[in-house]
Amino acid sequence: MMEKMLRTFYNGIIPENPTLRLVIGMCPVLAVTTAVVNSVWMGLAVIFVLTASNTLISLLRKFIPDKIRIPCFIVVIATFTTIADLVLAAVQPDVHKILGVFVPLIVVNCIILGRAEAFASKNPVHLALADGVGMGIGFTLAIMVLASIREILGSGSWFGIRLMPAGFEPATVMILPPGAFISLGFLLGTMNLVTARLAVRTSRSKQKSSSCAAHAGLEG
Amino acid sequence: MEEKKAVPGFDKLVVASSPHIRAVETVDRLMWQVIIALMPAAVVSVYFFGLRALVLMLVGIASAVLTEALVEKALKKEITIADGSAALTGLLLAFNVPANAPWWMVAVGAAFAIAVVKQTFGGLGANFVNPALAARAFMLAAWPQHMTGKFPVPLDSITAATPLAILKGTATGTLPSYLDLFIGNVGGVLGETSALALLVGGAYLIWQKVIDWRTPAGFIGTVAVLTWIFGGKGGLFTGDPLHHVLAGVLILGAFFMATDYVTSPITPKGRLIFGIGCGFITVLIRLWGGYPEGVSYSILLMNLVVPFLDRWTLPRVYGVTRARA
Amino acid sequence: MEYLAIIIGGIFINNYIFSRFLGLCPFLGVSKQVETATGMGMAVIFVMTMASAVTWLIQNLILVPLHLEYMQTVAFILVIAALVQFVEMVIMKVSPVLYQALGIYLPLITTNCAVLGVALLNAMEGYGFLQAVVSGAANALGWTLAILLFAGIRERWAFIDIPPSMQGFPIALVATGLMSIAFFGFQGLFRGILF
Repeated sequence: MMEKMLRTFYNGIIPENPTLRLVIGMCPVLAVTTAVVNSVWMGLAVIFVLTASNTLISLLRKFIPDKIRIPCFIVVIATFTTIADLVLAAVQPDVHKILGVFVPLIVVNCIILGRAEAFASKNPVHLALADGVGMGIGFTLAIMVLASIREILGSGSWFGIRLMPAGFEPATVMILPPGAFISLGFLLGTMNLVTARLAVRTSRSKQKSSSCAAHAGLEG
Repeated sequence: MEEKKAVPGFDKLVVASSPHIRAVETVDRLMWQVIIALMPAAVVSVYFFGLRALVLMLVGIASAVLTEALVEKALKKEITIADGSAALTGLLLAFNVPANAPWWMVAVGAAFAIAVVKQTFGGLGANFVNPALAARAFMLAAWPQHMTGKFPVPLDSITAATPLAILKGTATGTLPSYLDLFIGNVGGVLGETSALALLVGGAYLIWQKVIDWRTPAGFIGTVAVLTWIFGGKGGLFTGDPLHHVLAGVLILGAFFMATDYVTSPITPKGRLIFGIGCGFITVLIRLWGGYPEGVSYSILLMNLVVPFLDRWTLPRVYGVTRARA
Repeated sequence: MEYLAIIIGGIFINNYIFSRFLGLCPFLGVSKQVETATGMGMAVIFVMTMASAVTWLIQNLILVPLHLEYMQTVAFILVIAALVQFVEMVIMKVSPVLYQALGIYLPLITTNCAVLGVALLNAMEGYGFLQAVVSGAANALGWTLAILLFAGIRERWAFIDIPPSMQGFPIALVATGLMSIAFFGFQGLFRGILF
């Protein structure tokens, strides 16, 4: 049991990293990565909502009628999102202001509904929990990497600590929208390159049920 | 084109294809022609701004050519630096910065133009925005302190506000005379100063049939008309179109950047509309926008519309349904 | 004038894709052809405008009077989900042609964060009813403009030689970044006149 939990947990961090491998739930990834601090709080909020909703949905999976399962998932996710939103507003009002609309928008994040549908509603609680934590940490690590790239190049600092030498003039564009798109594009490209080089043929399981994959697959 | 039409289905391909297929045989000649046409402006620029201007141009060209070679080597592609397109991008990029710009910024900008805007999409003919202009907008957003404000004045070591900033009213100063604007005795980025030198180069390109007159005519004509109507402080039709045409990078942009084969429409009608659209957006930004100059953004924004201009202006061949791309 | 400011701001200056990062999943997913992008754009305009109206009513007639503002997220997402279902059924009955054009896109819109995003942002801005509706329509138009331009560019990619590791999402993101640089041209437009 422990081994299976660990494998599920690890699965969300590297092999099926929601951001870098499955490429779903892109809006917050680009929006909150202007500074590493912001990405950490966003990550914590997502870990909380993902773990809590995965656990609860897995617990209730035998009681939720199949036909109305999506609305039920949404209510569960929306409730935990609201809790995360209110807690963050109380604990970190400044960060909450910067993250703005992207905290309540966790409710429509494809990762969370996708995991509810593809994993939590089909698996026992302990695995759903491990999956939630793993996917959440995978998301957090991915946005922290992107935020690090953007903050170091765009502000010359990391976690607000000046990192670059005095002569370095930060490229402000990196913390603006174009910098977000371009750095994520090259981050994903580098991931592809590294994967191809290592020739690691991890099963790129297409999560058909996730709504974002449905978007992507529409024309396939 | 005539003999190609004999191939069944070729017309279908042309509808959605990029223009580089046509241009690729003569691309070397075209690119070097454009570089030759830019030489008068380069010489004038070095005369007015000194050796500093030459250094920036050489840095831009060297960085662009080196980046092209390195990326192509890394991608195991044929090295195409001899076609002159990377050198042209580097030169145009240097033309878009003021003489007091740091050399490292030009180097980074040129590398961005080639590596990100051009080679990421597959090299010559594959980019959808003009590399030099996208890199210029990138530098403006990255290091505004080096791309805006006061620019060096010719034959002098002081800096002053550009004529367009004065026209806009965001800076104070005296407007240079038409003659100074025309020969280039004004402050500004390297390539924008001398209207005369640029017009000589532009005329050469039209004479050599390297560029289509429609784009610059539509572009400059639209700017002149709209600034005459809306550009004046005293009401409609009191604007100063000549100042708006001669100042800034309008002539450089209209002749040398809006006419870029890869990122402009392939039909004559499309090119005219493209030029008019550039002129419209330029005036919008110059008169009511957040920047004193709008030429490069106008061309970039019109670059995005090119697929639709091609779509709408390509004549349909009778009896052939449009290809579902 | 304030409506003009909302319209120009929504379409050009604070474009949902290029500056606000809202609605990216369908933007990246349904932009390979101009035809499908058009269909998606129409559906988004339809739903975002209606969602702006309905969520404004929920917010100002139910949540605020009853001091239930903390229920905003839950209420909005349920209303939007119901609205999308309802719109789908109505279109199916009323206009089979329109249903054929928009039908497949409608179910995907519930999770389009631009829809919930515009509802939340309208409430944050404290817009009146008409302002909220105009904001919904204008931002949806801006989103549609973005996806159409992107689809036009993307259609040509079938003929170009993109490096293997950059194909797919990476190149789409880099291209979106370059488009967003071009949209910087609209920054500060009409400042002092409209804004």
